[in-house]
Amino acid sequence: MVDQLTIAKRQTLQLASIMARRGASAACIGARLGLALPTRPGWVQSSALDVLGTGPGSWLALAEGAGPDWSDRLSVQLAGLASVSDQSGGTVVFRFAGPGARALLQSGVTLDLHPDNFGPGAAATTAIAHIGVVLWRTAEKAGFEVALFRSYKASFRHWIETSAAAQGLAFQAPEW
Amino acid sequence: MSRLAQGGLIDRTRRYAFTFDGKAFSGFAGDTLASALVANDIKLVGRSFKYHRPRGILTAGPEEPNALVTLGAGAAAEPNCRATMVPLFDGLQASSQNRWPSLSCDILAINQLFSPILVAGFYYKTFMWPSRFWEKLYEPLIRRAAGLGALTPAPDPDRYDRAHGFCDLLVIGGGPAGLAAALTAGRAGLRVILADMDRLWGGRLLAEHQLIGGQEGHQWASTVAEELAALPNVTLLPRTLIFGIYDGREYAAVQHLADDQAAAPAGRPRQRFWKIIARHAVLASGAIERPLVFGGNDRPGVMTASALSTYVNRFAAVPGKRVVLFTTSDSGWTSAFDLIAAGIEVAAVVEARPDLPALADRVRRAGIEILAGAVVTDVRGRSVGSVEIVTQHGGRRRIAADVLAVAGGWNPNIGLGGNLGGRPVWSDSIHSYVLDESPPGLQPIGAAAGRFALSDALADGLRAGSEVAAALGVTAAAADLPACSDDAVALAPIWQVRGAKGKAFVDFQHDVTDEDIALAAREGFRSVELMKRYTTLGMATDQGKTSQVNAHGLLAAATGRKIADIGTILSRPPVLPVAIGVLAGAHRDQHFRPERHTASHQWAAEQGASFVDAGLWKRAQCYARPGDKDWRETVNREVTTTRTGVGFCDISTLGKIELQGPDAAILLDRLYINSFSTLAVGRARYGVMLREDGFVMDDGTTTRFAEDRFFLTTTTVNAAKVMQHIDYARQVLWPELDVQAVSVTEQWASFSVAGPRARDLLQQILPDKDLSNDAVPFMAARECHWQGVPAKLFRLSFSGELAFEISVWASQGDRLARALSEAGRAFGATPYGTEALGVMRIEKGHPAGNELNGQTTAPDLGLGRMMSKKKDFIGRVMAMRPGLTDPARPALVGLRPVASGERIRAGGHLLEKHAKAIAANDQGHVTSAAFSPTLGHWIGLALLRHGPERHGEQIVIHDPLRGADIAAQVCSPRFVDPEGVRVRG
Repeated sequence: MVDQLTIAKRQTLQLASIMARRGASAACIGARLGLALPTRPGWVQSSALDVLGTGPGSWLALAEGAGPDWSDRLSVQLAGLASVSDQSGGTVVFRFAGPGARALLQSGVTLDLHPDNFGPGAAATTAIAHIGVVLWRTAEKAGFEVALFRSYKASFRHWIETSAAAQGLAFQAPEW
Repeated sequence: MSRLAQGGLIDRTRRYAFTFDGKAFSGFAGDTLASALVANDIKLVGRSFKYHRPRGILTAGPEEPNALVTLGAGAAAEPNCRATMVPLFDGLQASSQNRWPSLSCDILAINQLFSPILVAGFYYKTFMWPSRFWEKLYEPLIRRAAGLGALTPAPDPDRYDRAHGFCDLLVIGGGPAGLAAALTAGRAGLRVILADMDRLWGGRLLAEHQLIGGQEGHQWASTVAEELAALPNVTLLPRTLIFGIYDGREYAAVQHLADDQAAAPAGRPRQRFWKIIARHAVLASGAIERPLVFGGNDRPGVMTASALSTYVNRFAAVPGKRVVLFTTSDSGWTSAFDLIAAGIEVAAVVEARPDLPALADRVRRAGIEILAGAVVTDVRGRSVGSVEIVTQHGGRRRIAADVLAVAGGWNPNIGLGGNLGGRPVWSDSIHSYVLDESPPGLQPIGAAAGRFALSDALADGLRAGSEVAAALGVTAAAADLPACSDDAVALAPIWQVRGAKGKAFVDFQHDVTDEDIALAAREGFRSVELMKRYTTLGMATDQGKTSQVNAHGLLAAATGRKIADIGTILSRPPVLPVAIGVLAGAHRDQHFRPERHTASHQWAAEQGASFVDAGLWKRAQCYARPGDKDWRETVNREVTTTRTGVGFCDISTLGKIELQGPDAAILLDRLYINSFSTLAVGRARYGVMLREDGFVMDDGTTTRFAEDRFFLTTTTVNAAKVMQHIDYARQVLWPELDVQAVSVTEQWASFSVAGPRARDLLQQILPDKDLSNDAVPFMAARECHWQGVPAKLFRLSFSGELAFEISVWASQGDRLARALSEAGRAFGATPYGTEALGVMRIEKGHPAGNELNGQTTAPDLGLGRMMSKKKDFIGRVMAMRPGLTDPARPALVGLRPVASGERIRAGGHLLEKHAKAIAANDQGHVTSAAFSPTLGHWIGLALLRHGPERHGEQIVIHDPLRGADIAAQVCSPRFVDPEGVRVRG
């Protein structure tokens, strides 16, 4: 049987917030990174990193397995255009996959996650069960990723367990 | 048993046992509790609110005012359930309410004898004096006598879930109009949500013998529902109540998931709360039949004609053996057909209209007596035994019957439509209220729009479905209106039957009679809103669904106005009662709000730490060891070990903000009372920020790690507020500054390592780092690595000891806590919690939350000299106000007891020796107090008038809350190491 829902914590992900310096446009910061930065809630991808739009002039960059000093390199790369601040230690990212992913998340998110409305490239800064999250649809269509502050992990887990049980969703979550 | 031999939408192969007031009965799958009671010949189901009159089942729907029961027992008991809406299940337990000692013999029925004085306004008039008796005596007594059902004080054992729905079209009601609308929109590919309170689709079609396209109506409905269920763009929500409409096209709903079984399966919810955002919605909620107002109209056995049809047609349950039908509308005659078809004796049809409708012929052909232009004036018997009739020409008749069916006309069920303030208007054509101004995006259709005929309902549904599709740019295939039965809908309402001898009820649930409304009018409560509040009509759990319009008719008559001119009331959500548990969902008990755990939480729990709330954070309070006789022993040990050896403490909850950009230093100078532009790279400085009004907002340290990069800390509780304050300053006040700010509170797990051996312990953690005074002097800071992961090292001290703070990525915090614990073993190190932290900061006289209470200035806290005179900063101007610079303001001092064993308690007020303990003599108060294991006695911090000038003076700490006054000596707040030698060690 195919699992309805698998939840995995992304273990080797590095994250950093990018904040535009005064007068630096998304276009010129993006040019330095080799991708067109989103100017709305959404995400883009290059071979090196993913970037989520989290607010005017602010983004969250993600890089898989880039090592602990990645944000320093990013900071140098964006010198004069943007301030970079590492968030790898304080943010956890969970990947939700399988047909049950949308059903589960929709019970917590007050935004419409239907693919017509929240399709590939969509992202949102919102809340689940009073916990602030950044949520985006992954490149695999049925999948989502959710970033939240590490301190809320236990409460978030409780929300997942009770909500999945309420919907009768069996799920696999190998590592929290 | 009064069950027809065949027919009905019940499953006769599944028999369910249930109890009512402890007596065993049985019914079938598909029954409601009400239909099962009807089939078991149970007429008496409850007692009324005020007079405790015996009551039966009046309706077959959600509007039911009488048949309220308590379901279940113990913690799961739920009061005030409408028996008409309770699906029967095997093992159901129901009990009647509002009666003592039993339903058939209720002592408070004696209230009926006092009914001449228990009229509307009785309580207001009678229990006015003496006013102090109200709260203590009258109200509790009245509440015990009245009340409707009783809540269980036990915690709710059920679970509740939450969901969010989004659609192009929300269809409220799954009757003919709603199904037609959902089908049209669904076939066009729109995202549709269809909700109905019933478990079956069809609405009135389930209760009537209508034909659609040659099929029985209920068969048509189930065919449509099957098609809808197969459409991926359609969500069907049976047994779902849409209970409110809110701004932004938001609809609130409750889905009953497990109310048709004794208990939900383990882990599964009983109900689910839905928040639905709908671009468009149709209100296809149907209509509610009005009762008629005559003497004894509340007796068990009186039932609306549509309810009678429902019990007979849908449930094959027969409410009685001999029926009199009293009607003012064509629909009443249709009920007569239903009874004839089922072979139930109809004694007579009493039609209030003098001209009989064409429908009467069929009844006459069946040999049934018809009384035109006649009215029922009274019901005789405790439950219906016979009815008194006044004929067209004033003659009197008495006809024996055990059921009286009443058909008073129909009210569109439009409560939801008024939720956003649109007031319904009177329609002379249907003799009821219709929506005038609907909430945005919502349109009523079918009976809810006053279009009662089946063909109109279907046509409305088809039209609305394609209109919504068109509005969204989708073309819906035009569906043909199916051929359907022709039903007549004419009526001529009567609001009150004159000449009744018995009590005539308007609001059954709140026991409001026609006389109460007349009294309200006589006493000047002529507005419907005032009449409602004076009589409490419509204010019971049914919100007057069967009573409101009749009451309007009576009030209009009593005040000599037309009903169209008296206006009507608005309904608020919820339109029907909703369990409060479903609104809370999973957010109850310890999960009421989320918790935040620091990185060392798990480790601390393993060490036996107890935790304390700091906002959402759980912080380790102290680490009790087996054998500690109380928490103070634990705390004393933690303090003493730290002051004499070494201790470490998780301080990760402090707010942390990274400030970057060329103008970061300029912004900091404006945020803080002291300067940061002069701070050297690699150095930290303590800072205080004020609110605009000049009072202290927060404090913390700021470290400069690069020319354009600073690291700020805030207090735990003010972390979000300070972040907001900084964003406001840089985005709104000074957008010209090139400065960026981001919270990094969660990024860093921070530990304070304090005590004479702090350097030795930390050296074990950072073996390659030079931690000497020369390399890392007091107030220095360094960026470094710990085991390959970025770390920050600060030479800061809150305890007053030689201390460092080490921060690592929070993902590594658990490892660092374990490493500190492991390495600390060699030094006898202790972890310490917030209690020891608090004791040590009081010993050092550092202000914290109790002193930074929003009412203190920098000088009050002894920090006045930090206020720069060379620059401007937020709060500077207002801090110069005379009231804030008054030297007599209470300012920070230390207190020690004169008799060393005495305990100083926070909250005690300060008086001069021998001064009388009155507010005018108040000199200040104790803000923080602790037992100092270092000094061996209690100490306190206080805000005292002229405090800094009064060191050495003896004062009195007056503590009327907890007892004795004690004598204390004013001293410096720096109890330990006042010169600050140790921090530089």
